Amino acid sequence: MNTSFFVDVVFILLALFAVYTGWRVFRTDSMVRASFFLLLSFITVGAIMLLLSAMYLGVAMFFMMGVEMMVMALFMVMFMMNPAGLNPMMMVHQHKLSIGAGIASFVILAAMALLSRFPVQPLPAGLEPVSSLGNELLGDSMLIFESAGVVLLATMIGVVVLSSQRGRFGSAQEGSMPPGLEPGGEPAGMPEEDSGAGGHHHGH
Amino acid sequence: MILDQLIWPLLLVFATLGGGVYLLAVLDGLAARSFGLPQAQSVWLLPLSRGAWLLSQQANVTEAPDWWGWRLAPALYLTLAAIGLALVPWSRDWVATDITTSLVLWGSVEALATVVIFLQGWSANTHLALIGAYRYVALGLSYILISMFVLIGVTLPAESLALTQVVASQQELWNVLRQPLGLPLFLIVGLSITFRGPFNLADSTDLAGGTSVEVSGPQRLVWEFARSAMLVAFSGIATTAFLGGWLGPWLPGPLWVMLKMLAVLAILAWLGRWFARITPERCISLMWLALLPLSFIDLIWAGVEALL
Repeated sequence: MNTSFFVDVVFILLALFAVYTGWRVFRTDSMVRASFFLLLSFITVGAIMLLLSAMYLGVAMFFMMGVEMMVMALFMVMFMMNPAGLNPMMMVHQHKLSIGAGIASFVILAAMALLSRFPVQPLPAGLEPVSSLGNELLGDSMLIFESAGVVLLATMIGVVVLSSQRGRFGSAQEGSMPPGLEPGGEPAGMPEEDSGAGGHHHGH
Repeated sequence: MILDQLIWPLLLVFATLGGGVYLLAVLDGLAARSFGLPQAQSVWLLPLSRGAWLLSQQANVTEAPDWWGWRLAPALYLTLAAIGLALVPWSRDWVATDITTSLVLWGSVEALATVVIFLQGWSANTHLALIGAYRYVALGLSYILISMFVLIGVTLPAESLALTQVVASQQELWNVLRQPLGLPLFLIVGLSITFRGPFNLADSTDLAGGTSVEVSGPQRLVWEFARSAMLVAFSGIATTAFLGGWLGPWLPGPLWVMLKMLAVLAILAWLGRWFARITPERCISLMWLALLPLSFIDLIWAGVEALL
């Protein structure tokens, strides 16, 4: 069998699947499903990178995205409290803006792909992609990657601290209160309290 | 070419999956017997009769499950186990999938197993299964870091991410002696990735079966088979990373790999029966406060050893 023909067929199938699952991220109705569709899309992109002989980056995509999407699904469910992500919910907002932004970025990226001239640079014989990547990451570009890593970590911790300060149903320090069944009504599902309890809603 | 690169590797992986899972079930029965637990049948027949019973049992369905996840999760878990097993080198040339980053691919198998086990519990749309799923994510995120540090430790003397190179680097001294913390920590990862014994938080009895509480019939058989298959794949990776893989005197390499895998499986089956299940909160504390720092020490040890 002709190897390059086989690679082309696999590439086209993977690319179509990546686009399809990427589209499903926005059309599905649950945060957990959306995360896992995005994971499928990233896994297929990782497989395409393996076709491009990026042996480390392709495989790294699998485990990075596996953990990342799992954490993302977990945090979204934790913060949104849509019961466990199984209840249907609308996954998109700001429809007109996002449709416009989507079409614009698609046109720009498609034009770049179709109109630019890509250099023809076959892999040099004897190139070891893994060790050359390692030398790049921990050699000349070390300062860039390390500082980017520290900035990302600080951002993640900061975002969690800021967003956990105020929960969906009120300040995190005071204990959360469910919303009323009618706008401005009594909190729903709260147990009857003794009049002497002082009106606090703390759990003990 | 097709025979060499497709048929033989597939046969090798499938034969190891089937044989390994059966032998693990037998070893588990022997471990149970060694603690004085009565076995209803001969330990050699018990796994077969349980499998036949599950095959003939009715397959249950919950109300409004996530159909794709519900149907696919057991099969995906089994697929991940098969991918892991395909990476194990049986000798210098006899490897089903020989890539330069096979150790990283095993790391991906561990990471994706978390997703698949979560999916199994989440997709059922019942509360005990869901609690099991969330517990497993907490466990998975904890053991993955330990596993990464321990495995980075074995790549340092090999100066490569390929499992064949990792074995070749143990020609003089096996990693189990060179990095004494490595194998004990990695065995804990093995018990966690198959939620067995002390780390059975996902499918535990306090959740009446956890993520697989509603799963019955052939689907349950696939799930239990996949759990065992993942432990077989894990024993192959542990053999390769710490016990010198195919290296050994007198016997041919593949036989050494098989014997070492069986030894690892026997130890894990016995440990799984010996230790009681720990509560989730204590388990997470243990992982982050004790085992993770130990894996740092293992990595520093490996680094200093590689520099000397």
